[in-house]
Amino acid sequence: MAITSRHRHGEPVWMRNLFIGASVAFVGLLILLPVISVFTEAFRKGFSFYLRSISDPLALSALRLTLITAAVTLAANLVFGLAASWLIAKFSFPGRNVLLSLIDLPFAVSPVISGLVFVLLFGAQGWFGDALSNHGIQIVFAMPGVILATIFVTFPFIARELIPLMQEQGAEEEEAAVLLGANGWQIFRRVTLPNIRWALVYGVVLANARAMGDFGAVSVVSGHIRGRTNTLPLHVEILYNEYNFSAAFAVASLLALLALVTLVAKAALEWRIRAEERTAVMEDVA
Amino acid sequence: MAIDARHVSKSFGNYVALRDVDLNVEQSELVALLGPSGSGKTTLLRIIAGLDTPDQNPETAVIVDGQDILDRRGSERRVGFVFQHYALFRHMTVFENIAFGLRVRPRKLRPREPELRHKVNELLELIQLGRWSNHYPSQLSGGQRQRVALARALAIEPSVLLLDEPFGALDAKVRQELRRWLRTLHAKIAVTSVLVTHDQEEALEVADRIVIMNQGRIEQTGTPDEVFHNPASEFVLTFLGNVNLFHGRAESNGRARRLFVRPHDLEIERHPSNADSVAARVHRIQSAGPIVRLELTSDQNNSITVEITHERYRDLTIKTGETVFVKVRDVRVFVAAG
Repeated sequence: MAITSRHRHGEPVWMRNLFIGASVAFVGLLILLPVISVFTEAFRKGFSFYLRSISDPLALSALRLTLITAAVTLAANLVFGLAASWLIAKFSFPGRNVLLSLIDLPFAVSPVISGLVFVLLFGAQGWFGDALSNHGIQIVFAMPGVILATIFVTFPFIARELIPLMQEQGAEEEEAAVLLGANGWQIFRRVTLPNIRWALVYGVVLANARAMGDFGAVSVVSGHIRGRTNTLPLHVEILYNEYNFSAAFAVASLLALLALVTLVAKAALEWRIRAEERTAVMEDVA
Repeated sequence: MAIDARHVSKSFGNYVALRDVDLNVEQSELVALLGPSGSGKTTLLRIIAGLDTPDQNPETAVIVDGQDILDRRGSERRVGFVFQHYALFRHMTVFENIAFGLRVRPRKLRPREPELRHKVNELLELIQLGRWSNHYPSQLSGGQRQRVALARALAIEPSVLLLDEPFGALDAKVRQELRRWLRTLHAKIAVTSVLVTHDQEEALEVADRIVIMNQGRIEQTGTPDEVFHNPASEFVLTFLGNVNLFHGRAESNGRARRLFVRPHDLEIERHPSNADSVAARVHRIQSAGPIVRLELTSDQNNSITVEITHERYRDLTIKTGETVFVKVRDVRVFVAAG
């Protein structure tokens, strides 16, 4: 197969090598090199300094906030993403297209603007500012603001993964389940969820990567209060601006590790899906 | 159990799918709803199942076994439904697909595991797919999938069985086999069944009674024999098979009439035997099949289709391009509207 197609296209070997070389150089320069440099910079002042940097109370609090934010965000978006996709894919109702466009909004809007919107709404001078402060609730420059902004910038990921799949699958299996006597929860758990489980996990992985790494929106609403409203990306920036390069890179390496975990999870998932498809095809042939 | 649907109407926005339809199905009967696409037959079936709701009207009722089930949800109607595209649960094995309706029952009504296995195995036996119980739907052929779908519908011991174009996605040979098989199955289990189809041959072959629908209305109801031999309208006649159309005038009042003749009600002759015989030129002969079909063109440029037996064809020794005479044996007359 590969040989015939090469013959058909007939491009010379040097051209092929050029393209491969260019791709490798591009990936190496723009992706691999920065990752390596993060780790070399992180360990520049030695392993003990690295350990001290990442076990610094401020760094740990940033890590904690990042993990909490990611967890709450994922839970919220899981519920929202499932509900919205279910609604859009299986029903037609007035305002369906508006909802579909709204789901894409966070992709279209710059994260900084998204953050600003929350400040305008919930900040001291914002629309609900007085009402909130009267009740002693603080959203902006506090953890709720960080979480809200993160939810906002990540909410399309899960819905966007699910909607096309659910639309393609249609509602017939659910209809069959209804007529067989299943109730709403049974249909969701036994029919709908198993059919979308891989797309769902995939969406969660993508949303998670973004939730942990987001800078723009969070930067605007957090107020950069050390030890309280700093997430890992924000903490890295502060350290960097203080010329504390090694510590900045040490903390950044934590973020990079989290990203790697996410990537590995995604790769494992893809591998598993492909393996499942392969067995299905093989059994089909047999 | 008998089905009695009364005054059922349904519109989707401006589009009217059903106009005040009454449908009656006797206990243990197999009725075919036959009509072209858009005639409302599937909508009627979905309303009986509870997948669609009819337009509001106090007179509307769907009575199954003496009880109006219109207020009941689909999950509480205990109808067996077979979809055109099977709608099998793709992530469940054949066994689990069939067991689904038993497993989702409220705990008190749910059969115990051995009982459930026994029941599912019985159904697997019935559809002759016992060896496939651990396979997934994607590993089965279309015909096998539809049999699984049928077993799954029967597992809940439905009061009525509704089949929505069940053989529509299958190729001709498998469709034939499944039709026969369904007929035998129905004789065995005698569950009141409604089958939606747009294939007149299927309806004529399978059903005890046929309900012919057109543009949201019922055109005619009757046994296959009745609707085929005594069509109540032009639509029924043309829908149930090929017909030749001739234009004429009534002798009594001179009004325009449309004369319909089925291809097998025409006779071919070498010499005109009476004044009504029409001269026509043969331009195509199709002799592969149980009968010989001739396409002819009359002097008035009407195209005529005639079906004769192979025996008659051999006797006549007709060739393409020859001119012969066509005689009418039986004719149906419908006075043209307007």
